[in-house]
Amino acid sequence: MKNIAHTRNPLSSDKERYRTKSRLSERGRAMFIFVCSVLLLAYLLAPITWLVSSSFQTEAEIVSVPPHWIPEEPTTKNFEAIFFQEQKEVTYESRKQVDPVSGGYIPSTAKNLLPALRNSFVVACLVVIFNLLVGVPAAYAMAKIRFLGRNSSVYFILTTRVIPDIALVVPFFLVIKNLGLLDNILSLVLTYLAVTVPFTVFILISYFESLPDELDKAARVDGCSRFRTMTHVYLPLALPSLVAVVLFTFLTSWNEFLLALMFTQTPASQTVPIIVASFTSDFTISFSFINAAGVVAIIPPIIIAIMFEKYIVSGLTVGAVKG
Amino acid sequence: MARIRFDNVTKRYGNVVAVEGLDLEIRDKEFVVLLGPSGCGKTTTLNMIAGLEELTEGDIYFDDQIVNFMPPHKRDAAMVFQSYALYPHKSVYENIAFGLRMRRFDQTEIDRRVRDAAKRLEIEHLLKRRPSQLSGGQRQRVALGRAMVRQPAVFLMDEPLSNLDAVLRISMRAEIKQLHQSMKTTFVYVTHDQAEALTLADRIVVMNLGLVQQIGTADEIYEQPLNMFVASFLGSPPINYIEGRIEEVGDEVRFRRESIKLRFPPHMAKRLAGQNGREMVLGIRPEDVIENIPPVEGESLHGHVNFVLPVGSDQYLNMRAGGVELFFRVGKEVRHANDEDVALAININRLHVFDKETQTSLLYQD
Repeated sequence: MKNIAHTRNPLSSDKERYRTKSRLSERGRAMFIFVCSVLLLAYLLAPITWLVSSSFQTEAEIVSVPPHWIPEEPTTKNFEAIFFQEQKEVTYESRKQVDPVSGGYIPSTAKNLLPALRNSFVVACLVVIFNLLVGVPAAYAMAKIRFLGRNSSVYFILTTRVIPDIALVVPFFLVIKNLGLLDNILSLVLTYLAVTVPFTVFILISYFESLPDELDKAARVDGCSRFRTMTHVYLPLALPSLVAVVLFTFLTSWNEFLLALMFTQTPASQTVPIIVASFTSDFTISFSFINAAGVVAIIPPIIIAIMFEKYIVSGLTVGAVKG
Repeated sequence: MARIRFDNVTKRYGNVVAVEGLDLEIRDKEFVVLLGPSGCGKTTTLNMIAGLEELTEGDIYFDDQIVNFMPPHKRDAAMVFQSYALYPHKSVYENIAFGLRMRRFDQTEIDRRVRDAAKRLEIEHLLKRRPSQLSGGQRQRVALGRAMVRQPAVFLMDEPLSNLDAVLRISMRAEIKQLHQSMKTTFVYVTHDQAEALTLADRIVVMNLGLVQQIGTADEIYEQPLNMFVASFLGSPPINYIEGRIEEVGDEVRFRRESIKLRFPPHMAKRLAGQNGREMVLGIRPEDVIENIPPVEGESLHGHVNFVLPVGSDQYLNMRAGGVELFFRVGKEVRHANDEDVALAININRLHVFDKETQTSLLYQD
């Protein structure tokens, strides 16, 4: 009896070993995921952190080695220059008086940044609005209405997306020139629409197609015309994809450089990317000012993303049909 | 009031014919069931009434008005879908009220009708919920409510019960029947379930491959099928078919296949007379066995029982006679066993006779 009492059950020790092993492997897996997440987060946030940090640094601090992630002598000079600068003429002579090593100078085109922000915002908003006005009905029609040439229309729209923008510049330029819209923000609105509408239609077609046809039928029998079916039933359900469209078109317009460079010549129509790029071709490059401009430039897209974040959810269609 | 008339209506999708040459008149306040297998054109027909499908040929009339090009929202029809098609972003109340809102009803009237319908369908407590928070049966009630509140001239239902479990389906069937009686409006109901068709319909339209096979009351369709498709589509277990030929011996007209000899009663014999030797298919429904009487020559089938399936109230016999397998439903007074020889008295007054080639009835087809 004594012997038996002291004998360990081999089965239970196996179980224990297995449990310990699986616990360890679970911990290891969790640790691996955690490390990967931290690395990914660092990779994503480092440039933005540096952008924000350096915008509060002097030119001398920005180039210090090792770099200061937290400014030792934070300055808001760059932001003051953007928002409250005096409209004084910057010349080679006046610039010479500023020491480029210690910083503290402002690019000659700095005063153009606020008008450029306004231009970018107006262009992006118009592009978003027209994208929705054109894209939603087009996508609804292609997703839910059977008509002759429906498939060819979808393919045609999609093929326009495989043409690189650079190939479109010359034709666009000729059209814009003939319309007399050079150096006018409308030229940007028109060309950005040509670039973004196909993508908008593509996103929305996929989404509308995923919504059950019976909803369309039910709404029409319930008394909706095609248009009201779209506005009363499909639009509320398509909110997540509409948000995707808004973000995509806004950001595309906000960031676009090539077409803006071609069609705009004066600050009256130039957008943020063009003006920020112009800071590098000044007498001397001010990295801290460029980064401050960068911070200002990313604020509107961030606000838009935060505003719509709560709509970026799926699962609205749960319960629409049997289940 | 709504009388619906199809005048030679055809619907094609490219080269595929969904409905061909449909002539049908649905009377005011009638409950018509379109019955048939998948792809027979019944839902297409319903969609054409609703205005959701355009006609390729022919005309549809609501009363005396052609409605071929009238959009769905201008037709006074409400529809219940197989998948319920509730608006997921709206509450139950708003789902039911939607049709009224689109027709710009007064808010007080909307509220009154929604609450009336909800009370009748016993979903008052669910009015604030979203469709995703409801069970299948509750969703079905909401879909019914959405159609009811409109008080439409035509009530269209596309397999509304097919997603419910068997018990709920039977109770909902009764409710739909009651709804028809109380609403006093025209109902067109699509189903592939013969039991639903037989229990609900004033008239059944049996369809197959885009063609109407037979139109009639439940009894007419069941008792006097015009072709083999109709006969086999209705009835569970399905009708037994035995190929053979007509044999005339003196005044008697008989069916003959190997050892099977069945005498036709006089009213059938009259129709089949003069066709001695004609190839035909005999139809015997599984339940057309007369029990408790001794089998008589010419009115009975002798065969060998392959197996017996007890089904609670009855027992099903799978037997072999005349070289074919047959299925019969018999009571439990006589217990049958596997591998025994049996003789079953057949109710010869309920035999069905079809032409072997055309598959049409030799008794009821003009």
